[in-house]
Amino acid sequence: MAAEPGARTVTLTIDGRRVTVPEGTTVYQAARAVGVEIPIFCYHDRMPPLGACRMCLVKVEKMPKLQASCTLPAADGMVVDTHGPEVRAGQEAILEFLLINHPLDCPICDKGGECPLQDQTFRWGPGRSRFTEPKRDFAKPVSLGPVLALDRERCILCWRCVRFGEIIAGDDALKGFQRGFASEINTAFTQPVASKFIGNTIAICPVGALTSRPYRFRARPWDNRPVPSTCTHCGLGCAVWLDVRDNQILRTRAREEPAVNDIWLCDRGFFGHDYVSAKDRLTTPLVRRHGRLEETSWGEALDLVAAHLRASMARGPGRVAFLGGARLSNEEAWVASRFFRQVVGTPHLDHRVDASPVGASLRVPWGLRAPIEEIGRADVLVLIGCDVTEEYPVLWLRMKQAVDRGATLVVVHAKRLEIHRFVRHEHLVRHDRLAATVEDLARGAEAADPAVVRTAASIAAGARVHILVGRGALDAPGGPALLRAAARLAARAKGTLHIARGKGNEIGAQRFGLIPSDGGWNAPEILEAAAGGRLDVLYVAGGDPATAVTDRAAWEAARRGVGFLVVHEAFLSSTARSADVVLPALVLPEKPGTVTNLEGRTLPLAAAVVGPGQARSDDAIFASLAAALGVTFSYGTSEELLEEMRAAVPDFCPGAVSPIPPVSVPAGAARRPEALPDEDPGRAEASGLWLALTEQLFSQGVMTGRCRGITDLAGAPHCLIHPSDAARLGVRDRSLVELATAHGAVVLQARTSDVTVPGQVLVPRGYDAVPVHALVRWPHPAAAVSVRPILPAAAGGAP
Amino acid sequence: MRESIILKWARTPGMEHLEEYRRAGGYEAARRVAVGAWTPDQVIELLIASGLRGKGGAGFPTGQKWKFIPRQAPTTYVVVNADEGEPGTFKDRTLLEGCPHLLIEGILIAAMTVGATKAYIYLRREFHRARRVLEAALAQARAAGVVGERVFGTGQAVEIVVHTGAGAYIAGEESALLESLEGRRALPRLRPPFPAQAGLYGQPTLVNNVETLCHVPVILTLGPERYRSYGPPALFSVSGCVVRPGVYEAPLGVTLRALVFDYAGGLRPGRRFVAAFPGGSSSMLLTADQLDVPMDYDSLRQVGSMLGSAAVIVLDDAADLVEVIARAVEFYRDESCGKCTPCREGTVWLSQIFERILGGRGRVEDLHLLESIAQGMTGTCFCPLGESVPPSLVASLRHFRGAYERHIAQAVVHGR
Amino acid sequence: MAVPRVHALSEAARAEIRRLAARYEHRQSALLPALFVAQEEVGYLPPAALAAVAETLDLPLSEVTSVASFYHLFHLEPIGRHLVQVCTNLSCLLNGCRQVVRRLEEHLGVAAGQTTADGRFTWRVVECLAACEEAPVLLVDEDRWPRVAPDDVEGILARYP
Repeated sequence: MAAEPGARTVTLTIDGRRVTVPEGTTVYQAARAVGVEIPIFCYHDRMPPLGACRMCLVKVEKMPKLQASCTLPAADGMVVDTHGPEVRAGQEAILEFLLINHPLDCPICDKGGECPLQDQTFRWGPGRSRFTEPKRDFAKPVSLGPVLALDRERCILCWRCVRFGEIIAGDDALKGFQRGFASEINTAFTQPVASKFIGNTIAICPVGALTSRPYRFRARPWDNRPVPSTCTHCGLGCAVWLDVRDNQILRTRAREEPAVNDIWLCDRGFFGHDYVSAKDRLTTPLVRRHGRLEETSWGEALDLVAAHLRASMARGPGRVAFLGGARLSNEEAWVASRFFRQVVGTPHLDHRVDASPVGASLRVPWGLRAPIEEIGRADVLVLIGCDVTEEYPVLWLRMKQAVDRGATLVVVHAKRLEIHRFVRHEHLVRHDRLAATVEDLARGAEAADPAVVRTAASIAAGARVHILVGRGALDAPGGPALLRAAARLAARAKGTLHIARGKGNEIGAQRFGLIPSDGGWNAPEILEAAAGGRLDVLYVAGGDPATAVTDRAAWEAARRGVGFLVVHEAFLSSTARSADVVLPALVLPEKPGTVTNLEGRTLPLAAAVVGPGQARSDDAIFASLAAALGVTFSYGTSEELLEEMRAAVPDFCPGAVSPIPPVSVPAGAARRPEALPDEDPGRAEASGLWLALTEQLFSQGVMTGRCRGITDLAGAPHCLIHPSDAARLGVRDRSLVELATAHGAVVLQARTSDVTVPGQVLVPRGYDAVPVHALVRWPHPAAAVSVRPILPAAAGGAP
Repeated sequence: MRESIILKWARTPGMEHLEEYRRAGGYEAARRVAVGAWTPDQVIELLIASGLRGKGGAGFPTGQKWKFIPRQAPTTYVVVNADEGEPGTFKDRTLLEGCPHLLIEGILIAAMTVGATKAYIYLRREFHRARRVLEAALAQARAAGVVGERVFGTGQAVEIVVHTGAGAYIAGEESALLESLEGRRALPRLRPPFPAQAGLYGQPTLVNNVETLCHVPVILTLGPERYRSYGPPALFSVSGCVVRPGVYEAPLGVTLRALVFDYAGGLRPGRRFVAAFPGGSSSMLLTADQLDVPMDYDSLRQVGSMLGSAAVIVLDDAADLVEVIARAVEFYRDESCGKCTPCREGTVWLSQIFERILGGRGRVEDLHLLESIAQGMTGTCFCPLGESVPPSLVASLRHFRGAYERHIAQAVVHGR
Repeated sequence: MAVPRVHALSEAARAEIRRLAARYEHRQSALLPALFVAQEEVGYLPPAALAAVAETLDLPLSEVTSVASFYHLFHLEPIGRHLVQVCTNLSCLLNGCRQVVRRLEEHLGVAAGQTTADGRFTWRVVECLAACEEAPVLLVDEDRWPRVAPDDVEGILARYP
């Protein structure tokens, strides 16, 4: 262990070797630094030492008893023995104690082959047990929700999982219950575990007590081929191992990446790979004939697309537009951008399919303006409309570290966040009042509300202030004003303003050209142009606008208005179902290349598995079309392509951050006048309720809907209504309701909850089966909503 | 009976009333500290000179402990360990029920000395009578301006809050007590940092036992020399197979023999002394040939035992040694917090073996196994709870092997 | 099991819990006292009561339940109107508590840890009550009974209707 210059050091002797380490280093760490292995169970280097398992015992000269090396600070002149007879006897005793109540069911245990208990018993164990009494008896295994199985008999009570929930995630998901020999790890009343990070506890469990339900009994670790790659769900870009067997991803594990995810993942990352091998993957091109999509050959499909593109190009430039990009790699985004700009000749490209024309989402480049690590060093964190655990869960783990070091967490949101226990200043307001609240905060000491003045003072007192504005604020009524106010707030606190927006590889899409320029239209404008008959071809890849566009009617009008819709898809998504040509595409875990994460860091992708049937990568499809249009394209990860990308984006370099320029907020007028909230005051008066759409990590979308664990974690589509409103409207918890606005209606489950405020119904997005975007109509960013209980039909007939 | 200077407060009727207590000279020491007649440094010097050591079990010099509290800390707490639970110990309960004001006075002196404005009394939940007496005494003290915003009319504030436990012996261990006082499972904390540096809510905290604090006003009143001339005094809880079980004040260094045969009236007619735990069930058992060991910290440590909480549990020849040790092991099994492996697993394994032996299913090799498990628990546990098991178990195997062998022989005879 | 969200505690009990929380610098310190408030009101600590305590103190339910399950004086299952606790630790063992235990068992007709069919008594064996000079000791609700002989058992219990 290298001592930092100037730091005080101590020198000790471990197994006869002199070791110099910084003061404060434990004997265990010092031993590890010089390659001396000491067995451990409870110690985990991401958490403070606990000293519970007593496995790491060593003998220290002049100390009468054996010492737990994980909790013993190294001291000058200490003489440590890690494997003498006394130490061995101690280790054997501890292992024997650990094993007396362990079932030794290794042959059927998922941990087999990667089990520290197995390994350490092999190396340090007594070799036989003298235990002949009845073992501790627990029902096994019990399911703690869709992804976690608990086997308490195997548990050696190392407390790692409990401490993970307390120290790392802050969700207190698993706990110890009872005490002494009756101690057990569990949830309260064995309820399904409430966590977004539980996969990590499976990873750090040193025995087979916590196992993954989706992965249970599916493979032995030594049969898996681990492929290093990057998770492409939320956009944070966590490093992963994709464990592959028989061309199938059987599990995802965290790969250590200190700058991004450290060694952690969220459960969407852990359990979000099943879609890759879903049975309903598209394997052949489809073309619409007589109103139906029918299978065809690549040749025919590409000819058809090329013919339409050629015809449009002949009519003039700019009559083709492209939407999508979240599910493309950097290289594919670049190839797509070059294809449309240079070959097809259109500037109308936009990845921001889910952005509303009236909010602030389209007015500012997305992304974090500082490395993720710096956010972990903040002393003030302000989350404005950013539901961090639903949108960027692993980013919360950094924030938790900051909060534990004393950082002040401020939240301005339309929903009480699940991390509310860690929030110092919470401003829970209705969605349409977010902007006014942030403007108030920016006013500082002059604000009317004393609570706001206090919060503003806290923010102003910070030395390392990070303000994250999320989708929930950008798309809220008055989003542009909110953004300007947030910028003022950041400037006054000399803090950094971040735009926490963008999923998958949207930052890569933004960087590599899938964004309008040179007079190009943005996504809502593209839809408007399509609806107005000003487009010949609408081209979609790496996105699903039919569900993502926040105004369903706008999408439908665009679809009706455009002559030809081409879609690259892995599944028959809503968009694909309405397409004229569907080209079967590979998904990200099947492609090599790179992606860009939210902070602008370039991260590697690997082709972990081979795609199904005739599915092709998006860049290969664009290259084929380019060839059909008479241009030769390099694609994939060829050096030629990379050179080209480096020329366009000079700091493009795998592993490195290319900073996203600081947010500069245009003070001038918006391109469109800001629309007022809903023009339907009658409905608002009648119901007293406004609608706000929210983000949810566990969803049922094109990909997540095909991942068993995640689909189950998402549960039923639902809305959240405040108990006082529910009582007023006669809505019971978990009953069905019809939600109606002036524009549409959906039926879903109502949950009564005080995470929303009175007068506001929260509806999570992400359930493809429930078209919540039918409730919204541009340019109105808010909608008055009525809630009507759907009563079960009375026995004996309909009313 | 000899003159007592501590216990007399608990034995004098009416001492639970503030006026009676004051009439007897009570609260005078605290008042003098409050008005500055003794500075904090002087109080600490007096305590050091008195030789007072913690009466909860660890025996740490009290003056030193007070001195360790950083004087400049913005927030400091005093926490009173009134979670008396060491089997055989009942002196603290006796003081709580008999002279609550003596404790309150000790707390006031401690708080004003270390600069704490808040003190918590972590009181064993089962002490219902003590709680009523203490709460009533506190109410009187608050009403009289002895406890509260202005102690004895000075600018010093000391608030005292009674906080009850919920049934966990381990909460008597000072770091586990602090965890419990913070509303968590009573698991012992890693040390360092010690409570003096980072205790309750991470702030410097003085944790003292009830009896310890009850000695403080007496020391200040009598002066350390006179106090020491009483032994210095200690309260011994004597119970088990004796004629007059009870709390006795005796000089430290009194022999076990004197405590058993003189103070506690000896054994029941016709019975013979066989063994005794000198300092609660956590201290190693002493045998008849050790009756003349002086009951003080060093002498008992020299013979491998300890003074602990000075609770003498006497066993006579009618007691079944194996049953006694088995019951002691069962106690630690049930009170183990479960945090560390050897205590959690070792105590249950030992109990399982004892259950077999007492149930007539013992085996000769069990004796070696018991010793070996005890060996595996020795020096490997996280806190003193697990470490309390092996000494008496090993001593019993050494000195009373015959008792074990009789149980096992029975099993053989009965063919089990 | 879904934990009911309805309030298992009266407003008075929740106000008392909030008052207790104010005695401490950190509200979690009030958890043990709060659990006693809930237990006194409900009789024991069913999931809904734990949830109400968790909500009132703004603590995770998992933490509240974990803590409650650690301490022997919290009852997560219903208990009888009167709780009879008999010490069987060393001093009581040496003074005949086994006979008292046997008499209790016979008289109440249920095993240790169980509740009589009429819901009147739950009895159990406990650790040292720190009243060894009075061994063997019985604690019935908040009353400590000293030097209990087996023949005293019936008379003592008769005082607790």
